Amino acid sequence: MQTLSHPTPLSHARALWAITWKDWKHFWRYPLNVASYIFQPLVWLVPVYFMGQVFSVDGEARGFAGYSGSGDYMSFILLGTALNNFIFAVFWGMGYALKNDMDTGVLEANWLLPIPRLLLLVGHTFTNLITTALTSAAMLAIGALLFGFAPSGSVWPAVLTLLPMLIGLYGFGFAFAALVMILREANTLVDVSSFLVQIFSGANFPVTALPRWLLPLALALPLTYGFDAVRGWLLNTRTLLPLGVEAALLVAFMAVMLALGVGAFRALERRVRQLGTLGQH
Amino acid sequence: MTTTAPLSPSLSRPGLAAELRALWVIFKREWLIFRRYPSWIVALFIWPVIFPTAYIFSARALAGPDGGGLALFTQAAGTPDFIGYIAVGTTVWMWQNVTLWTIGLALRNEQTRGTLESNWLSPTWRFSFLMGAALVQGLQLAIFILVAGIEFWLLYGVRFHGHPLLILLVFLAAVPAIYGLGIAFASLVITSKEANNFVFLVRGLVMIFCGITFPVSVMPGWMQAIAAWLPPTYAIHGIRNASLNGADLAALLPDLIPLTVFGLGWLAIGYLAFVWMERRARQTGAIGQY
Repeated sequence: MQTLSHPTPLSHARALWAITWKDWKHFWRYPLNVASYIFQPLVWLVPVYFMGQVFSVDGEARGFAGYSGSGDYMSFILLGTALNNFIFAVFWGMGYALKNDMDTGVLEANWLLPIPRLLLLVGHTFTNLITTALTSAAMLAIGALLFGFAPSGSVWPAVLTLLPMLIGLYGFGFAFAALVMILREANTLVDVSSFLVQIFSGANFPVTALPRWLLPLALALPLTYGFDAVRGWLLNTRTLLPLGVEAALLVAFMAVMLALGVGAFRALERRVRQLGTLGQH
Repeated sequence: MTTTAPLSPSLSRPGLAAELRALWVIFKREWLIFRRYPSWIVALFIWPVIFPTAYIFSARALAGPDGGGLALFTQAAGTPDFIGYIAVGTTVWMWQNVTLWTIGLALRNEQTRGTLESNWLSPTWRFSFLMGAALVQGLQLAIFILVAGIEFWLLYGVRFHGHPLLILLVFLAAVPAIYGLGIAFASLVITSKEANNFVFLVRGLVMIFCGITFPVSVMPGWMQAIAAWLPPTYAIHGIRNASLNGADLAALLPDLIPLTVFGLGWLAIGYLAFVWMERRARQTGAIGQY
């Protein structure tokens, strides 16, 4: 068969479509999970909402405004949570899908396919990104009803800012997936690293609230500027740097992370093949 | 002439010693599995620090650069130590969460590994399989809480003022309720063959209603009424009162009494659910299916 012996861009596209379609069917096969994706982040926000009420006078958190330039802490956090869902999608989409393939015993068989292995990883994120967009939109809508969500800025510049951040995240994802292959355990790794990135990139609070000794860590993470810029555009919050500078940083981050991620994946994947541990879990 | 070896008394007529030996073997097996995954051990040290972090820094942000909002928190919570307040609440939540994932899924994991049916054919009290998992989880939890206390003290500067025995007493009073729920949960999961969403539901209830980061009095009345039916509400309040406010035994009784009553109730529900599930499994023959 021609596409097997001489893979073409078209055959790669068909492979991507097949992976996406398979993941899409898996996703909708468990309808309770859909509800869970929408409501779980909201559940995590309830303690923040009531805690914010404790710190507020007439519904306005004046202390919070001192850090972010806006007393509307729930819009700040809801938007951060929605963005964070996309970060999770890339982390989970590749590292965790790889672990699933290991557990179900199909990783070795998939690895023998005549398609680039990075393509297999990318394919696993497509459905995840689509479903994340859908569930995050639903989460924001319900969150707006429960807690209030009032974006007052421009949507399109925010979306344009988001794109290089997401593409750069793929670089993270590639390196991370390779690490999962070496360590053969994904849950703790995914949970802990996602959680740390969430904390230090300011998904839930302005990073300027971090203690002085932790602030450099947050400022070293490109995602911090992504969160900050998107909020700056949508909520008119006070940003760490001018919005144009933050956008340029994100584009640079995208290029560097893609190169580093691909390099790390290739090196670690080669190591796994040398060790012969691809089928172990 | 052939001779048959006499049947071991513990196999033909299992006595207390045989049951204890079986329990010990189950305990050893669960401990061995736990040790086999170093990342699980690392998690015991990492989660106590990082889980409350997001809430702690959110509280810092809400307090403002000059700490102006702190007076409002002190007025509502009865303590200015918002870090200790959150640390205690999130620790109890993590305890309930880990119990659901470990004890709640102990039988389910055996089912998916394909060992449940063969283990249940052994002449052992079947409840021992859950008890063994509960004992290992109890040991892990003791390590977890000790590590959490040390880490909160070292990294967050939390100072516990209460009497250690009173703090321990509240923890012990919470054990039956939290483990009873886990045991009931294990039976539900094995019957429904679905775990994740049930865990999310139960831990979500604790997160929403039990005041892990805020005083329950901030919630609307109908939410407070639901919170009054959830044992972690009393566990969180009692441990905070004992450890942060230095409350004496008399001040802790309003939390200890409902915790004990709920504990007895949940243990009974857990055991009855197990017995029901065991009988149903034998009737339907579906114990090995997943």
